[in-house]
Amino acid sequence: MALSRRKRARLIRGTQYAILVVVAVVFALTADWTRIQQAFFRPEVVREMFPDVITVALLNTVIYTGLGFGFGLALAIPLALMRLSSVAPYRWISGIYVEFFRGLPALLVILAVGNGVPIAFPGAILNKYLALMVALGIVGSAYMAETLRAGIQAVPAGQVEAARSLGMSPMRTTIWVVIPQAFKIILPPLTNELILLTKDSSLALFLGASISEYELTQFGRVALNQYQSLTPVLVAGVCYLIITIPLSYLSRYLEKRGGGKKISSPESTGLDVTP
Amino acid sequence: MARRTKLTKLTKLAVLPALTLAMALAGCGDGGGETDEGAAGGESNVQLVNEGKLTTCTGLPYKPFQYEEGGDVVGFDVDLVDLVAEDLGVEQEIVDTPFDGIQSGADLNAGKCDLAAAGMTITDVREKNLDFSDPYFEATQALLAKKGSGVTDLASLSGKKLAVQNGTTGFDYAQENAKDVELVNFEDLGLLLTAVETGQVDAGINDNGVLYDWVKEKTDFEVTTEFDTGEEYGIGVKTGNKALLELINKHIAEAKSSGKYDEIYEKWFGKAPESK
Repeated sequence: MALSRRKRARLIRGTQYAILVVVAVVFALTADWTRIQQAFFRPEVVREMFPDVITVALLNTVIYTGLGFGFGLALAIPLALMRLSSVAPYRWISGIYVEFFRGLPALLVILAVGNGVPIAFPGAILNKYLALMVALGIVGSAYMAETLRAGIQAVPAGQVEAARSLGMSPMRTTIWVVIPQAFKIILPPLTNELILLTKDSSLALFLGASISEYELTQFGRVALNQYQSLTPVLVAGVCYLIITIPLSYLSRYLEKRGGGKKISSPESTGLDVTP
Repeated sequence: MARRTKLTKLTKLAVLPALTLAMALAGCGDGGGETDEGAAGGESNVQLVNEGKLTTCTGLPYKPFQYEEGGDVVGFDVDLVDLVAEDLGVEQEIVDTPFDGIQSGADLNAGKCDLAAAGMTITDVREKNLDFSDPYFEATQALLAKKGSGVTDLASLSGKKLAVQNGTTGFDYAQENAKDVELVNFEDLGLLLTAVETGQVDAGINDNGVLYDWVKEKTDFEVTTEFDTGEEYGIGVKTGNKALLELINKHIAEAKSSGKYDEIYEKWFGKAPESK
């Protein structure tokens, strides 16, 4: 190649810009903008959707997700500890649970809980919030248990040794020394899990809901039928981003902060007890 | 030096998605072109979205109009559309998709299918987004409840839960007429019926044809009342698809006059039609 390295880099960069421009131009020319506008941006439909899209739909999405996340985390802690247990059957049970529910689509778990429980126990009336809390919790717990296990293992061994040499029992060490530090390590991935659960909560629509129980996706789809327009889908999408984008920023911020901390407490010494 | 190597790697990584996108876009363009030229099927100038196939959008399950049995989608609507497919000399292919996309015309406009046969009532609102064939079936809304539950009409449901299906005429009817009733909105008929069966809701509203079919097997339940909504089912095509619409209308009329319609009706409902 006659080109110098710098020239080649410039050429490659130029090609990338060119491709970007071509793709944008092709898209702009081939798309039917009037139709897109009619389908997705009808201001009167947007106006009609307020305030319910926030006070009912967005709120319910947050509630379902929050309940599922809380329940999932509560399940994940014992699961992670079981996974690391010295008692073999505990490890097996936890392992099977994690592999099973991590391998199933969230929709199937939601349908199984929502429809399976009333079939298995005739006469049981399942509260929608409860059903989703359990279903989303199960889905989330499988991932969170694995994350938490990794977090616990990442806590420097010296921390445990130090706590034990101070006379703390293994149980106390786990609760007061290991788990708090593990949580600090896994905060960024846990935030990601919260984002995933926010989106999974959209599957709630398959359980059926009354108007006061609509979450964003179902709300958007019912409005889609009512107004015969895709605008509600767009509005619902924006509402999801209102939840998820701050969360992903939070996740990145926590990651940055956590990374900084790690350097200040090198694992090699194993004696660093900074909180 | 190290930095430079990293840069080149990144460049490659960035180019790939852009290329893929460009290729995908080019692909879309080609697809559109083919549709415009149209597939030369049968004697007419009907253009099909998928060459060699008459693609039907429907929302399963909607027994006995269309439902799955032994790996095939069968039913009243399927047999009816088969008459059109036979004439075109192609196979009917059925796409199962949520009903709200069907009735809003979104699926037809997106080229997902040639026609929609989904036990769909002809309404003014729907007519704005798609073109309907001549009516092929008469239906009304009906109420499904457990025997002995005391649910006889909408008034008796006051303060109770009524299951409705998203995007259906039953949903609209319940919204207008069921006062003080909590409407629980379900995605498809199967989920609605499960909720009624397990007692998650006190009753369900849907078209009479499918509910009568269901209570044949679930003898604990009954259709307690019908609301005389005087609905008629039509087959939907994309707005302006005259060639296909005319062909469908021709076959509906022919089937009714030749006795073929009665034959299909008896096959799925176990009795001759009272009116056509």
